[in-house]
Amino acid sequence: MAALIKSLLDWLRSLFFKTELELTLVGLQNSGKTTLVNVIASGQFSEDMIPTVGFNMRKVVKGNVTMKLWDIGGQPRFRSMWERYCRGVNAIVFVLDSADYEKLDAARTELRSLLEKPQLANIPVLVLGNKNDLEGAMSVEKIIEEMNLKTINNREVSCYSISAKKQVNIDITLQWLIKKGKGSKNTI
Amino acid sequence: MNLSKKDEDSGDLGVFYHLDKTTVLQEARVFNETPIVPRKCRLLLTKIIYLLYLGEPMATTEATELFFSVTKLFQSKDIGLRQMVYLVIKELSTIAEDVIMVTSSLMKDMQPKSEVIYRANAIRALCKITDASMLPSVERFLKAAIVDKTPSISSAALVSSYHLFPTGKDVIKRWANEVNEAIISKPASLVGTASSYLTSFSSGGSSYNTPPSTSNITQYHALGLLYLIRQHDRMAVTKLIQQLAGSRSSFGSSNSVLRNSFAYCLLIRYAAKILDEDPNSRQQLYDLLEGWLRHKSDIVNFEAAKAICNIKDVTVKELYPAINVLQLFLSSPKFTLRFAAIRTLNKLAMNHPTAVQPCNLDMENLITDQNRSIATFAITTLLKTGNEASVDRLMKQISGFMSEISDEFKVIVVDAIRSLCLKFPSKQVVMLNFLSGVLRDEGGYEFKRAVVEAIFDLIKFIPESKEAALAHLCEFIEDCEFTKLSVRVLHLLGVEGPKTATPTKYIRYIYNRVILESAIVRAAAVSALAKFGVSAEDPEVKKSIKVLLTRCLDDNDDEVRDRAILYLKLLDDEERAEKYIKDDSTYSLSVLEKQLVQYVSNPEEYEKPFDLSSVPKITKAQAEAENLRPRGLDLGTTQTIGVSSSAIIGINNSTVVATSRDATPTPGSDQQQSYAQQLENILEIAAFGPVFKSSIKPIDLTESETEYAVSCIKHIFKEHIVFQFNINNTLSDQLLENLTIVMQPESDDGSLVEEFGIPAPKLPYDQPGTAYVAFRRINPEECTLGSFSNTLKFVVKDCDPSTGEHDEEGYEDEYMVEDVEIVTGDYILPTYLSDFQSSWDEIGEDGQVVEIFALTAAKSLKASCSTLIELLGMCPVENTETPQSTTVHTLLLSGTFLGGHKVLAKNRMTFAPSTGVTMELSVRSISEEISRTVIGAVV
Repeated sequence: MAALIKSLLDWLRSLFFKTELELTLVGLQNSGKTTLVNVIASGQFSEDMIPTVGFNMRKVVKGNVTMKLWDIGGQPRFRSMWERYCRGVNAIVFVLDSADYEKLDAARTELRSLLEKPQLANIPVLVLGNKNDLEGAMSVEKIIEEMNLKTINNREVSCYSISAKKQVNIDITLQWLIKKGKGSKNTI
Repeated sequence: MNLSKKDEDSGDLGVFYHLDKTTVLQEARVFNETPIVPRKCRLLLTKIIYLLYLGEPMATTEATELFFSVTKLFQSKDIGLRQMVYLVIKELSTIAEDVIMVTSSLMKDMQPKSEVIYRANAIRALCKITDASMLPSVERFLKAAIVDKTPSISSAALVSSYHLFPTGKDVIKRWANEVNEAIISKPASLVGTASSYLTSFSSGGSSYNTPPSTSNITQYHALGLLYLIRQHDRMAVTKLIQQLAGSRSSFGSSNSVLRNSFAYCLLIRYAAKILDEDPNSRQQLYDLLEGWLRHKSDIVNFEAAKAICNIKDVTVKELYPAINVLQLFLSSPKFTLRFAAIRTLNKLAMNHPTAVQPCNLDMENLITDQNRSIATFAITTLLKTGNEASVDRLMKQISGFMSEISDEFKVIVVDAIRSLCLKFPSKQVVMLNFLSGVLRDEGGYEFKRAVVEAIFDLIKFIPESKEAALAHLCEFIEDCEFTKLSVRVLHLLGVEGPKTATPTKYIRYIYNRVILESAIVRAAAVSALAKFGVSAEDPEVKKSIKVLLTRCLDDNDDEVRDRAILYLKLLDDEERAEKYIKDDSTYSLSVLEKQLVQYVSNPEEYEKPFDLSSVPKITKAQAEAENLRPRGLDLGTTQTIGVSSSAIIGINNSTVVATSRDATPTPGSDQQQSYAQQLENILEIAAFGPVFKSSIKPIDLTESETEYAVSCIKHIFKEHIVFQFNINNTLSDQLLENLTIVMQPESDDGSLVEEFGIPAPKLPYDQPGTAYVAFRRINPEECTLGSFSNTLKFVVKDCDPSTGEHDEEGYEDEYMVEDVEIVTGDYILPTYLSDFQSSWDEIGEDGQVVEIFALTAAKSLKASCSTLIELLGMCPVENTETPQSTTVHTLLLSGTFLGGHKVLAKNRMTFAPSTGVTMELSVRSISEEISRTVIGAVV
């Protein structure tokens, strides 16, 4: 299974040519942003992470693609600063713990208020329902519904259900992101 | 290549001229560009730092905006740029908001896997942006960094922790083990670390190599932090010193734990502090200090020698090795060593001139030292240590270079000569000539004042010099540019002139002033003339003075005319003249001030005029004696000296007295006044009237390390006693509320009735609070004695040490503290007396009580003197608190008993090692009863 994924990733990598893209990962605390960045960067999952105080900056080079990942802390005190790091990026990635129903309301409100910022208009948003390996995790449809994603109509919005732990749907996520890189490059 | 590089450099320099903040902030856009150009960004960051260093103000919003732009630079891997980023973060950390944002990034940079050069810098930046609440989350990394094998990282972590300590005490206290490890760990093998320093400059492509540190400075940092953690635990500090000092044989050898000289210096300072506080450790610590005198490093030797010189009551034998070391330094080729040594010796010479004498030869060589500071110290030290024979030679040498040194040093020299005059009165002619010589030289006010005061002292203490000195002063005011000094000299002439053989010759000088000087000086001259008029025996003189004063009536200045008129009138009326001109007594100013404040703050009293007669008068001699006393204290001769010089005497700083120069108010008097102030603010207590006496120092009712530190101060009022309890809550996780004191008298004979208690409403961690309990004495005339057991009652609320938030619900608790006793001494106010014998005779033998005591346990006369002073609460007079002989001594004490009765005590004591101290204590007062009560305090 792992070998299959690896070959698939390699194939995907071979598709890009000299693309540079800048992404910002936001989302409530403990939704798996830093873990996801680690998985994308090194393909390794580590269980024990400490909360991000502030932000982490990772630069990932894969073949001809250079990804700059701004991983911003999700604790309430940092949420006001998400916007500063979302300005001018190729895409905003909103990570969600799809098994945590209690924080769903907070997540919805935070995403909504972030997207209302005029500086961030038209930037594509990717909502990732992480931790779909956990029991009781929401399906994609359920997330779209719960997060009211259908009502966002002034920009491109996508939603995937992934698992950073089991490396499920990481490939399609990457694919989506890289498309944004190429797309925005064309528009510049 | 080289040439182009140079051009670029000079171009860069120009960039920093006329920098404008707005432009620089605009340029900060480059931080958001992709890709980042490290060179450009680095230059811009340099400009920002340059602006900040120039003190350019930056608004919070600007700084925050800039800060977030700068954080974007974390994506670049350029080492030079990253280091600049760290610097800018540190600078902005105090101005910008949300600086905590870079915490994770910095933590990543300080991980073991990142570059060494990043790690130390990141740690230092991290400590700037972090606060107490974040500390627990970085704790693990800082702890690891402290024990890191690379000195730069370990140092960075230690210094950062040192700075964070005030805010994060509780967390950092847990790191003591790591810090200790940092002290004792051996440096990593140099070869091993060298490679990790090899880092490449991404822009230049050239590699550079930071040489590994061999200074072991980490030990210095670690020791500083460890002390900070343990400073309140004397046992732990003592243990630390012993552990690090190692065995004596290993000094200077590679086996000793400490390898850094600065760390040794710290250790010496800590040892000196303990030695100062805890007399029991003296011998042991002295041995350590003495051992360090032979350390291989100069700075350690010096620090140890200095510490020994500063020990209280150091003996000549103990000083000997330290002085030997300093003596060696005196002939060192290094300026700093010579300066350090001579300065220490100079200070030591004030109290131990004989101990410094062996260095005289070396110091004489330093008189011609090319460094003037060293030369001046050498001379002044020699003046203190020199014997009579060398004075002439020294004076000649000093005159030689007096013109070459600054006023500041001239003052030091003059002060030294002044003390020398008093030491060798027979040399006064030489010194007076010198002083009058320098008085004619050019110089500023401070210098001239020092000289004039030195001459004043001569006049006062060496009668033979009076005539000549006055003549010099007369000459001085002929051409004096400082009004203040003229006035002071004229005043002195007025006081001393009439007592000389030929008063008339001074009158001419004084009257010259009336003709030639400004109004202020003229007025002073008129007053001086009047003194001659009153004091002179010769009626002819009196007549001439009247003529002169009459001439002054035409003066164009009001003050001068007024004075002249007043004195002319007084001269005809001898009785009044005595009272207003000759009497130099004055009111006790501190008491006067207090009573005036009381009067002004109480509108009801406006009906009747202020009663001046209630303010005690003191003679000038008394005021002078008061002023002299604090100096005695400075010399550290005794601690128990009447620190409570009480409100009754007070101090008179403003009287123009030659010796009042550096007089400081006695601490006790201030203390009493401030207590009185505090109590007056409490309505219930203010109703008791003025305080008669407050205890000199608070009595500790708990050990210093207990949960709640409690001390008690007794305030005696006319009919009441108020106990003031100062409580400090040392538990960070507790908040105490509504704290009351329950005082249970030991024997309930009804002589003391509790009136009320004032609780301390709230006692948060480490914020002292006060509670009061007031008792009424049923027989105000008697001094009621007794003992109380005390219990604190309070409501405890648990709270979070870091945030200070506390639970709503609390629970009641009690805490027992030690007993408080009321002793006879509490009813006696120490009062100063200038002439003991005459007062003693005046009271007479009627109310005298004599008893003989044998104190077999007493170890020395000095110890029993201190005990007795403390027991009786009286003021030692005529400097009898320090016995001159070890076998026989007479201690004279003076005080005021409750009700304002004067009490005097004479205590003749003898000491023999076999029998201890035997003393005969005689107490005199107006009634035998009082005397008996007082003597009862000793039994």
